[in-house]
Amino acid sequence: MSSDPAIPSSNDKELVARTQGGDPGAFDELILKYTPRLYGLVYHMTSNHEDTNDLLQDIFSKAYRSIVNFRGNSSFYTWMHSIAVNMTINFLKKRNRRQHPSLNDPDSNIESDPDFIAATSNGDPTKEVSIHELQKKLNASMQKLSHDHRIVVTMFDIQGIPHAEIAKILKISEGTVRSRLFYAHRQLQNSLHEFKRN
Amino acid sequence: MILMETGNGMGHEPMHKIIKLKRYEKPPEGYYEDFLREFHRRQRAEMLAPSLSAMIMERLSGLIPELRVPAMAFACVAAVAMIVSVAIIRDTPRQTIPHAYSVSYAQPRPYSQAPVTIQNMQPVSLRVAADPQNQPQAAPILFPPSYLLQAPLATHESPLSF
Repeated sequence: MSSDPAIPSSNDKELVARTQGGDPGAFDELILKYTPRLYGLVYHMTSNHEDTNDLLQDIFSKAYRSIVNFRGNSSFYTWMHSIAVNMTINFLKKRNRRQHPSLNDPDSNIESDPDFIAATSNGDPTKEVSIHELQKKLNASMQKLSHDHRIVVTMFDIQGIPHAEIAKILKISEGTVRSRLFYAHRQLQNSLHEFKRN
Repeated sequence: MILMETGNGMGHEPMHKIIKLKRYEKPPEGYYEDFLREFHRRQRAEMLAPSLSAMIMERLSGLIPELRVPAMAFACVAAVAMIVSVAIIRDTPRQTIPHAYSVSYAQPRPYSQAPVTIQNMQPVSLRVAADPQNQPQAAPILFPPSYLLQAPLATHESPLSF
């Protein structure tokens, strides 16, 4: 029952039922379907590709072991995201704060994104900054946020998950989601003031 | 409400657009296909890897036959344990008479001075030798007198009941 059009959950039930019935191929389909989304979620929380890879393997491994207990009270999408969020936050609590980021290169399409052009040049071509400079600054700003604030920014701003779905995944009220977004944006504004458009 | 408006991204639209650019950060080409293969490999490795308890049991089972303890060693250990336990049980507590020591009350000296050695120090006992000729009129009192109150046996029956 995902409200996210990018993740149609119509055949999730069928795939889950087949997995619970002992068909490992069905779970492979679920992995292929959810890996890009969950990769983004974990990656933007950790800012480290290697950590994301290991963590994502653990997340799917846990989901595979626990899927027999999945009763369908929530959608598979929500259930899977809840596992990912909980495991990622637990990982971040244990991880050394001074871990160096390991960032992926941005897609080349970013250069033609009007938001990127506007953010980097601000209408003035002489003030252009490089993609990597922007990326570095964005990641540094994200890592300054608390885990609770970073997760809502990741889900809402980067992944485009609606407030209602975020509230279900995090098991908090929609008001809390909005409140966390407000404070996170305000903190990001202080860090990224040079990119802020007027 | 301010929070509602800003939380919707209306008040923070520029910030929302900048942060959204992070979605262009993507893993290398072919990562997702490799991810599934890696998942299968880890699953197989997990299934083949023995659990910790199984490893401990295996080590123990391999270690015990190597010990080669002689069969009679267990009997010897058991016999020694029995003798010791019998000796402990038969060792009844004896009444000990407190020893008397020569005590000298010297002025306390500072630690910097050398300790004093007392030559020919002999232990002194206050116990009186059992000599009938020198038997005193009254036995020496080694301990302060004590009194034992022998209460009648407690009974719940009336003495006049028949």
